[in-house]
Amino acid sequence: MSSISAMLYRETKIRATNITFVFWDLFYPLCYLLVFGVGVTASLGTPLSAPGVTYNSFFLAGVLGMASFGIASNSSWSFFMDRDNGIFYEMLTYPMSRSEYLLGKVLFNVFIAIIQMVITLGLGTWLLGIRLRADLLPLLVVTVILGTAGWFFFYTIFALKIRRNDIFNSVTSVFYFVFLFASSMFYPLEPLPRWFRVIGLANPITWQVDLLRYTSIGLGNPHQLGMEAVAFGIFVLACFGYAVRSLKQI
Amino acid sequence: MIAGRSPFALEVDNIVKVYPARRNGLFGACSEPVRAIDGLSFNVPRGSIFGMLGPNGAGKTTLLKILATLLQPSSGHARIESFDVVERPLEVRRRMSMVLQETAGEMFLSVRDNLLTYARFHGLAEAERGAAENMQLFDLTTEADRKVQDLSGGFRRRVQVAKVFLVKTPVLFLDEFSTGMDPILKRAVMDALRKESARGRTIVLTTQVLSEAEELCDDILILNKGRQIARGDLHALKLLSQDVYEVAITFESLPAGIEHEMAALHPVRSRINGNTLEFCVKAREAEALEIVAALAKKGRVLRVEIGGASLEDIFVELTQKAGAEAR
Repeated sequence: MSSISAMLYRETKIRATNITFVFWDLFYPLCYLLVFGVGVTASLGTPLSAPGVTYNSFFLAGVLGMASFGIASNSSWSFFMDRDNGIFYEMLTYPMSRSEYLLGKVLFNVFIAIIQMVITLGLGTWLLGIRLRADLLPLLVVTVILGTAGWFFFYTIFALKIRRNDIFNSVTSVFYFVFLFASSMFYPLEPLPRWFRVIGLANPITWQVDLLRYTSIGLGNPHQLGMEAVAFGIFVLACFGYAVRSLKQI
Repeated sequence: MIAGRSPFALEVDNIVKVYPARRNGLFGACSEPVRAIDGLSFNVPRGSIFGMLGPNGAGKTTLLKILATLLQPSSGHARIESFDVVERPLEVRRRMSMVLQETAGEMFLSVRDNLLTYARFHGLAEAERGAAENMQLFDLTTEADRKVQDLSGGFRRRVQVAKVFLVKTPVLFLDEFSTGMDPILKRAVMDALRKESARGRTIVLTTQVLSEAEELCDDILILNKGRQIARGDLHALKLLSQDVYEVAITFESLPAGIEHEMAALHPVRSRINGNTLEFCVKAREAEALEIVAALAKKGRVLRVEIGGASLEDIFVELTQKAGAEAR
């Protein structure tokens, strides 16, 4: 436990050295919701089949999912910075297991994600009139935690396997394009062409966003959500296992 | 596994490390596999200062990385304080600290925070006091609140080395620790290392500065191409080069053509430093004296010095011999 808390201390200290990081980390999902959500609602109305659900309410889960993805992508860059500074290899000689190393890092990300979520939900409901399902809030928190951890472990695998910054940059750009747009983050999958729907349903971001959507505003099919929850749980565990393995093979 | 308490801090048993072949890009050629460590075995007693010497690519850093659990060996076993580096890496890491060859630091944190963060990872009580003492030892007190990214390379290295003196792990690995250090600080660190060793801490270091190894190490391993080419204390190594002499002849003015005469004698190495001809020659005692007498006749001699081989001579001779045998 002490090494996990030491890692948390280290990550917090580093992040606190730059106020821009702190501001952007905490407020960017809300900014996205206010700019993109309000923009789409104003220009396209509420293009959803679900009765009584505004685009802002629908997109809330999308921004929370995007936040998990964004935190993971940004913090996976820290592996490159740590490698450049030499501290990455030194830290691997510290008295902690490879799992503790990753859990310590993810704990910091989870901490940021929860504050982000509180700000987004609090100001989102106040400014945009989004109605939340209070009874499902604990499950929403669990989904945010799992999602943040899962995507961090996913990105870690690539950050550890890829040695060049420029290649990693290209890979993350592809990930952003494929995972975010071929999912239910910005639009529902039902009206989409069949091939698009198949890709979307196989996309872990869809699983996470669907769960976030259900636990935030109660929208979703319980049978499908059950399967998506199991699939996403397996995805998170598999990514953790493979990330630890990748770290051991450094 | 623990098999009773061994008298050795380090036990290395037939370690081999082969780096696999790599393709250089999509269309590039495939490199050959590299056998960086080739069947090394040795033990290091507790409380000793053990030096690993060798030319670039000898396998020193690879071996240290295996011992520090950063790399896994291809075959063989290594134990630190009786714990196997592959089977019990966490137990090994709890008993060691390391200064890497590359400068490593938390660039965005202050010097003080670098030390405190390191102390936290090692579960150190009284970290503030330890950090203050170490900053004093390494002359870092005035830099305590500066970010490491704003320090010069030499100061960054100080911070890196200062950290390992904060903790009291039984084994300390230093990979070319003195890189970028000024002579005064280097001396202070060497004194501190001797004190740590006297308290029972085992120190394993690699260095290219042979005078450092000569001054510090109780036991020296000379490596070349991943293999042991010599092992022992300084005295034992000098016996391996019994017929090597180091000579310095200072002339009033350097005789013309002395470089050519020197080259004809095929010395291990030679150089001219002002009016002084310095060379190292491999010859029996009588022959060495004849060479000196012959050279001394070339001009008016102010001073002659003849000594046994230095560690540098031994190192050059042994690595050259090993290279020639490999060819």
